Amino acid sequence: MPAVKEFVTTQKPTWCPGCGNFGMWEALKRALSQLGWEKHEFVAFWGIGCHGNGADFLDVQGFHALHGRALPPATAVALTRPDLKVIVQMGDGDGYGLGMGHFVHTLRRNVNLTCLAHNNQIYGLTTGQASPTTEHLAKTVSTPSGVLEQPVNPIGLALAEGATFVARGFAGDIPHLTELYKRALTHEGFALVDVFQPCVTWNKVNTFQWFRERVYKLEDESWDTSDRSAAFDLSLSTFHDLTCTPEECRVPIGIYYEKTGEPTYEQGLEATKVPGWHRAMNPRDVEHIIRSLT
Amino acid sequence: MRREVPEGATEVRIRIGGPAGFGIKAAGQSLARVFARSGFETFDLTEYPSLIKGGHNTYHLRVSDTPIYSHVLDTDVLVALDEPTVGLHLDELTEGGAIVFDPKAFDAAQVDGVDADHHCLVPVPLDDIVYEVGGVKIMRNVAALGAVLGYIGFPLEPLADSIRQQFAHKAPEIAEQNIAAATKGYEFSREHDCAFPHNLQPLSDRPARMLVDGNEAFGIGALAAGVGLYCAYPMTPASSLLHFMAKHGEREGVVVKHTEDELAAMNMVVGGAFAGTRSMCATSGGGFSLMVEAFGFAGVSESACVVGLFTRPGPATGLPTWTEQSDLRFALHAAQGEFPRVVLAPGDHDDAFHLTWQAFNLADQLQTPVILLGDSYLSDNRRTTAPFDTSAVTVERGKLVAEGDIADHPEALAEDGRYLRYKITDDGLSVRALPGVKGAQQIVNSYEHDEVGWGAPGEDAPTRVAQNDKRMRKLELARTLVPPPARFGPESADLSILLFGTTKMPVLQALDWLAEDGVTINVMQVVTVWPFPAEEVSTFLDAAGTTAIIEGNHTGQLQGLVREQCLRDVDHTLHRYDGRPFSPEQVTEWVKEVLA
Repeated sequence: MPAVKEFVTTQKPTWCPGCGNFGMWEALKRALSQLGWEKHEFVAFWGIGCHGNGADFLDVQGFHALHGRALPPATAVALTRPDLKVIVQMGDGDGYGLGMGHFVHTLRRNVNLTCLAHNNQIYGLTTGQASPTTEHLAKTVSTPSGVLEQPVNPIGLALAEGATFVARGFAGDIPHLTELYKRALTHEGFALVDVFQPCVTWNKVNTFQWFRERVYKLEDESWDTSDRSAAFDLSLSTFHDLTCTPEECRVPIGIYYEKTGEPTYEQGLEATKVPGWHRAMNPRDVEHIIRSLT
Repeated sequence: MRREVPEGATEVRIRIGGPAGFGIKAAGQSLARVFARSGFETFDLTEYPSLIKGGHNTYHLRVSDTPIYSHVLDTDVLVALDEPTVGLHLDELTEGGAIVFDPKAFDAAQVDGVDADHHCLVPVPLDDIVYEVGGVKIMRNVAALGAVLGYIGFPLEPLADSIRQQFAHKAPEIAEQNIAAATKGYEFSREHDCAFPHNLQPLSDRPARMLVDGNEAFGIGALAAGVGLYCAYPMTPASSLLHFMAKHGEREGVVVKHTEDELAAMNMVVGGAFAGTRSMCATSGGGFSLMVEAFGFAGVSESACVVGLFTRPGPATGLPTWTEQSDLRFALHAAQGEFPRVVLAPGDHDDAFHLTWQAFNLADQLQTPVILLGDSYLSDNRRTTAPFDTSAVTVERGKLVAEGDIADHPEALAEDGRYLRYKITDDGLSVRALPGVKGAQQIVNSYEHDEVGWGAPGEDAPTRVAQNDKRMRKLELARTLVPPPARFGPESADLSILLFGTTKMPVLQALDWLAEDGVTINVMQVVTVWPFPAEEVSTFLDAAGTTAIIEGNHTGQLQGLVREQCLRDVDHTLHRYDGRPFSPEQVTEWVKEVLA
């Protein structure tokens, strides 16, 4: 069983001091270690953004995809390598902006992979533009008059498209996040953990302090994780205005919804049952197809 | 001018035309099957607008008892399922050519230009026949097929057999109804008083031929190569390859995914390559435009994969169902930055099969993306050809470690024992250890990267140069592995023609015809268009008297490559970009003009 420190590479993290990515990184290393996942038993994918720079820091068999496009190659591995588990990390700009199409379509397939969304409600790496989850009326360098769109509701979208594990975490509570990750990683089917991980440089509104005053744990309130409609209603409760007091807008974290035993996409296809490279050990016999055309 | 057909001709050209939604292509293909199984060579050309109902669809079938290489423009028997078909295709009818039509629908004799002295009118009451046998309207096609066979005096039995086979999975009365319709059509047209010079009878002494379209040839090639993942978004003319793969995928062990868009398709293919699965996608220019960023990703991440780029006229939505050769430069230059790629351009169906399995080998051997550059003319059209020689197929996976422990591969490791996915080597190739191999931690990266795959150290200037140089060295290696240009015709000739892709087919047909008229041409087909075979092309052109390039685009993309890579030009060029393929008639006439 790899120790937490064995998942660290020699590359020094380049995130800003205090960045929410540190909390997610730490929680993932702990979850992998506690689950006892060996490095050759899973693959990790990243999109492009501050979160993606973490590809250099985690010692795994990994794939640093294009911006917004971590889910399609991860799906390909899930469909052609039944012997490997798949973890995807993506950002809010990356996965909910450019990659929104892939997000929605991967959800509805219930591919067996875990998607950890680094949601800092801002574009960090490109220096502070509004992201799809930036709050309504927030002023950024690309929206000096305030964001005029409603933020994307990833939890609600996931529920609408039939996700079988939907959770929200907070990078400021690493023990809680570690437990969420372990549940998500061992879920059979598509698991989404959308994690609020404050950007200490560009997002001056949704700070660690802001979240600490507002988050509460669903499990502390005996939340029923089997009630999809209630989970959807709950997802709407995180839409709030910027001036709301901690009493007015509470932010639930934990598992919103979980359903086990749903068939995965892979289970619907025989062709997914064998590692894809086994198919190309020798030329495939196609004589019967040629004969059918004569 | 109507072309004369010599008495006893053993080649016949049949066109079926009518509105879309009448099952014209399916009917035509049944006819092709009948002739192919009776020992004949066939080549068909389907032309249709991009709609489901209405418009004007035609299916042209060339049948011959000697080898043929392409479609032709002549028509000997025109089956007109509506009146406009007659006017639209009258010009191509040969002297004495027949018009099969339903007299209840319209009177062909009244159509402008129809001349009873030079055309044979064959009225067949298709609607009445269908009514009499209690069938449905689409059976008009079958009655018309029977009429064609009756008119040319070919036995009906092979068609009846084909119908029985086609409807074997349905209630027996359906097949019998269809056969009854065909028989009545046959009897109606049997009695005609036109002079019909053709003489076609089933040939029993011929080896088995396969009847295959280009997309089936690509698909069989990919299956033979051991493809394990095929991803695509429907786009004409590549869609039927998706259908082919979907039909065979489950049984053959291929994961076939119709993705949400081409972005997903190409990105999945790169992911499949990472997993070690032989992965492929195919599309047309519009879809490839969406794939371009991920195509470059495959280049920088050294991902072995195969992309089918089947051209239709662009830009943008263009002419969806027609053909062109205008994506050559696009294939060569797609994606920002520089990286090695291989572009193979099959000229016909046999090429499509062989170049596809070779493309997978090249992709693995070079760890880089390979493009199969085709077009609608190849994808859509079906011809007879010798059954593909599968004994030639090999699987070469290059420097691949698929299982075990990377510690057993010291050549892949750094001094401290760390696996280096992008280790700098003399030939540019690094050991590609798949995920799942113990100890093979790595980052397959869309960023420039160092030998491990880490992105941040990749920004170091010497590291960038070393990785870029390493990748580009693979292009030099590619030159030693790719298929060479193909040569056709005599060593020396009146005109030497350079071409790529499907122009091969009509030009080879013209080569035969011109030879009969005492004009010689020889041909070099650039099979691998990248890396460009500059030496072979220069040698060919240097040895030639008069030189020409024939290509299906406006700007002379192959000609530009010759100027750039061979520092020379050719004497004559022929271009076409109206959506139609070159015809052998056009090539023949042009060659005679050029040499005059």
